Amino acid sequence: MAHQAHAYHMVDPSPWPLTGAIAALLMTSGLAVWFHFHSTTLMILGTILLLLTMFQWWRDVVREGTFQGHHTPPVQKGLRYGMILFITSEVFFFLGFFWAFYHSSLAPTPELGGCWPPTGITTLDPFEVPLLNTAVLLASGVTVTWAHHSIMEGERKQAIQSLALTIALGFYFTFLQAMEYYEAPFTIADGVYGSTFFVATGFHGLHVIIGSMFLAVCLLRQIHFHFTSEHHFGFEAAAWYWHFVDVVWLFLYISIYWWGS
Amino acid sequence: MSLSPAALAARRVFAAASHSSHEGGARTWKILTIVLAFPGVAVCMANAYMKMQAHSHEQPEFVPYPHLRIRTKRFPWGDGNHSLFHNTHTNALPDGYESSHH
Repeated sequence: MAHQAHAYHMVDPSPWPLTGAIAALLMTSGLAVWFHFHSTTLMILGTILLLLTMFQWWRDVVREGTFQGHHTPPVQKGLRYGMILFITSEVFFFLGFFWAFYHSSLAPTPELGGCWPPTGITTLDPFEVPLLNTAVLLASGVTVTWAHHSIMEGERKQAIQSLALTIALGFYFTFLQAMEYYEAPFTIADGVYGSTFFVATGFHGLHVIIGSMFLAVCLLRQIHFHFTSEHHFGFEAAAWYWHFVDVVWLFLYISIYWWGS
Repeated sequence: MSLSPAALAARRVFAAASHSSHEGGARTWKILTIVLAFPGVAVCMANAYMKMQAHSHEQPEFVPYPHLRIRTKRFPWGDGNHSLFHNTHTNALPDGYESSHH
């Protein structure tokens, strides 16, 4: 039987990159079809295919790493680089929306009343629910660090408790933000204020949901003994992503909620 | 400068965390969760609740500003005139509020 003479992972052929690409095509063209022809079929099909792709691709990564031993130290190093590069790309994604916000708010046009917030906009009080949201995310940063140390020290029960707490705080943030969206006296259609507010906080909220799902998968894996005290990169990646989500919120809070009010 | 007992305890805990390699790290962050994170969230919850109670429930006066309530393209749902998180009480349509002040 042949053995590889190197420590790297030559991945087996997989259909998931293709299904992922097809899903992206169906979702984007489906969005255009929805806007112009009022049918959501293509978009829903694309979304289902995307969810199936993500589930099966990442299930394969878990199988390859946890059960087949392909994630040697150099392979893990590559995964670390990959996650860091991905998060960096997300930083640039949000940078664009902050650019848009500051472009419009630093030199408000006469159409808005020459002021920021624009005339007629009642902003949210930054010291009510937004402050609570800040405390919730900061607290979740503490609990996810508790979870990491628990995993490293082999404290199984504490790891499960702290990880569950982190996810609960993430859900609480999402719930509070959804309530804020419903109660807000302004909408996305309220000029550039509404656009910048809801697009920036909306994409952030989406990332909170994604991060919570990532942590939830880690919780399931921790319960099923996937992680060791020395090797738990999946959790570390989820924790990095979660801290990134927290930092983006801090910038949103300072810029849009506080300075922009 | 004298510190409060809580601040002194926190300083001791941080010193221990920086010196220990892997022992006690989980315990440190568990303590921080209970002593700092949860009370912080609780205080902010109480604060937000009390501030919300102190609000007046007046609907802001409706002025048909042209730079707000933009409808250049209809929303692709419902009657095309309501945003996704539309709230009849707080969000006016381009013509005015739908519901009268409760």
